[in-house]
Amino acid sequence: MTNPTDNTSGKKQDMKSTPRNPRRALAGLVAGSGLLLTGCATNAPQDIFQPKGPNAHDINQLQKLVFPIAGIVGVIVLALATYIFLRFRDRGQAIPSQAHGRPIVEITLTVVPALILSVVGVFTFRTIFDLAETQDTEMVINVTGQQWWWEYDYPVQEDFGINQPIITSGQLVMPVGTKVLLRETSRDVIHSYWIPALNGKKDAVPGRINLLRLEADKPGIYAGQCTEFCGLSHANMRMEAVALSREDFAKWVANQQKPYAAPAAGTLAAEGEQVFLNQCVRCHQVNGQKRADGTAVIAAPDENVYSGAAPNLSHLMTRNTFAGAMFDLLRPACRNDVWSAKPEEFGAKYLAGVSEDCLNATDLRAWLRNAPAVKPMYADPTKLGPTDGKYRGMPALGLSETDIDKLVAYLLTLK
Amino acid sequence: MFSSGSKYLLGITGLSLAAAVIYAFTVNPSDIGAIALLGLMVAGGFLAGINLHNGSGDAATAEEAVAAASPAPRDSAWPAVLALGTALVLVGLATVPVVFILGLAVMTGGAVEWLTLNWADRASNDRRYNNDMVRTRSVGPLEYPAASAVALGAVAYLFSRVMLNVSKSAGAALFIVIASVVVTVAFLAAYRPSFRGRPLVAVLALGALVLVGAGVYTGIDGERAQLAKYSKEDPYSITHRECGPEESEHYDHHAGNAVNLRANVLATVFVKDGKAYAELIGIKKPVNSITIARSNDVNILFRNLDEKEHRMVIHLGEKAVAETGVVEKLENCTQLAGKNQEQLLTVNIKKPTIAMKDGYKIEVPGAEGEIEVIVP
Repeated sequence: MTNPTDNTSGKKQDMKSTPRNPRRALAGLVAGSGLLLTGCATNAPQDIFQPKGPNAHDINQLQKLVFPIAGIVGVIVLALATYIFLRFRDRGQAIPSQAHGRPIVEITLTVVPALILSVVGVFTFRTIFDLAETQDTEMVINVTGQQWWWEYDYPVQEDFGINQPIITSGQLVMPVGTKVLLRETSRDVIHSYWIPALNGKKDAVPGRINLLRLEADKPGIYAGQCTEFCGLSHANMRMEAVALSREDFAKWVANQQKPYAAPAAGTLAAEGEQVFLNQCVRCHQVNGQKRADGTAVIAAPDENVYSGAAPNLSHLMTRNTFAGAMFDLLRPACRNDVWSAKPEEFGAKYLAGVSEDCLNATDLRAWLRNAPAVKPMYADPTKLGPTDGKYRGMPALGLSETDIDKLVAYLLTLK
Repeated sequence: MFSSGSKYLLGITGLSLAAAVIYAFTVNPSDIGAIALLGLMVAGGFLAGINLHNGSGDAATAEEAVAAASPAPRDSAWPAVLALGTALVLVGLATVPVVFILGLAVMTGGAVEWLTLNWADRASNDRRYNNDMVRTRSVGPLEYPAASAVALGAVAYLFSRVMLNVSKSAGAALFIVIASVVVTVAFLAAYRPSFRGRPLVAVLALGALVLVGAGVYTGIDGERAQLAKYSKEDPYSITHRECGPEESEHYDHHAGNAVNLRANVLATVFVKDGKAYAELIGIKKPVNSITIARSNDVNILFRNLDEKEHRMVIHLGEKAVAETGVVEKLENCTQLAGKNQEQLLTVNIKKPTIAMKDGYKIEVPGAEGEIEVIVP
């Protein structure tokens, strides 16, 4: 027995009651605090709690109801469980009398959760049906996912000045305050389209067309991320939705429908066009591009690429990103200028496109030099057997530095 | 002079030689199959020679002594089964894999049964004990399931040959008749004890005979003409559908009801009052152009609201046939759809519109209006 007056034994008891490893406890506290502090991040473009459109607002309103209810239920359950663990833990005592069948308790434990779920269910179903509404759609964009980029094509819609289809990738451009319906599908595996500030996720499934509505309140760029694991570069399959005012969107449409203008003869860009014709048109299309004999240049990605498609590079320099929105076409300072622009100034800055001064030549050149080295892709020529000899992603083309100079000069003309 | 081992090795040598000769004449004498068979023959002959040279007489004497002290094993057909399996393996090596796999199964079964039988027969001098307590207990748990699986597989295969051969209506009638006979026999077996003996065996034997006979006959005769025709055709080929007068008698009149296809409808093409137009989800008014993503399967639903029958045709430009140089029109179409009927067309276009001189278009023969198809 321990003598209460025995200081030595008392010390031992005190030591037992203190944490065994204070450093570990401190590390846990710091990690937990760090985790909590992530909620205070201001530069979090994919924060689901900062909605920028009515669909995301609906989801946010729903979570404001569901999270507190779920939180309270969770706290009660955890508190009760903790109490039971502590109160009834084994101390060698006799097993208490076992009761079976308490109708009042059982009915309460059935009815109360049912009522809670009913309340949550009513609001959830209402939100789901609201988000699934398509009857009042104003604009349609076809979205096709493939490893590891998104293609956007705009069908003819004369209300928006789209008299011929527009095809682009990396950045989805849409007018502000417009109910835009995305018709999503995939060319290879399942992907998932998610711009958190504008709406929830929607899978892009091969052989299906899934509908997702986006609408932005203000001009700006809204970042997103593929959220269905889709292979090697899933983490690099980014997307950005660009919302422009109606006027700016009309300018963007007009620019996208501009005919192709070949670079002036004798320039570095003209030499770059030849490199493009020799190397890039096997997969990439630039609408309107013609060969010396006047015939249209037709890319054949279906012969070289697993998905049968490669990004259409018409008006490439009107986009801010490339390689599945993994890399910026703008240098950090210019990018920051666009991203942080006030809504009323955003359109003009975005429509300015990529100038030579603002071009992120480092990443673009690295991409042209050896694409698989900067973005993981199944592009090893010796391992293409399972895909019938076709590439997933862009292979290393073995371009010389001179050819890269020419190509960059040519790509800069695609505005 | 000859021990069991040397006989076995000489047998392998002989069979390998025979298989190599057959292979050389029927397939290719310089093929790797012939080389493998000749290699097996040389190896078998070499080992047989060593066996004969090194005391095969002593081995035979020892074997005879052991045999004299043991009860003689029963006559058995398993060695013949083993030989058949071995022959099939060799023939399969030289011809088609399925024969090789079948031979391997027969050879394994024959070897296991023969070895088990011999082992059991030497267990004691009591034959009944050897059979019931040693052999049956050891291989019975394998024999019954294996025999049942083979029997059921044979019944299913032979019955399927019959059903694929007879017409659809005759197949339905046949199915009803056979089901009725099975139920009647089962009823008699359950409620008439006198039927359970030889009469039941006789009926089952007769049924098996009829099934084998009918299965073999219909298997040789082949599938009914309609199935044979469509199994030869690629259902996704442009040539599968006739875009002129309807020639097909057998096609899915309700193809538009397939859930998997309806989930992926890019556009719906209507014909109403003699005019064709398209609708897209999300675009309220009818459109006269649709955009199709390149290199991706998409479905276009055709809905006929006219009194007359119509079909939808998609024109995909022209293509020169490599062998002849003849330029052929590429087009695909639905089957004819009556009033208020639907058909679905799946297309996958790999070239952009600008690749074709006249682009792509959809039309409904006999109706006004064209729908431009744009592939960006």
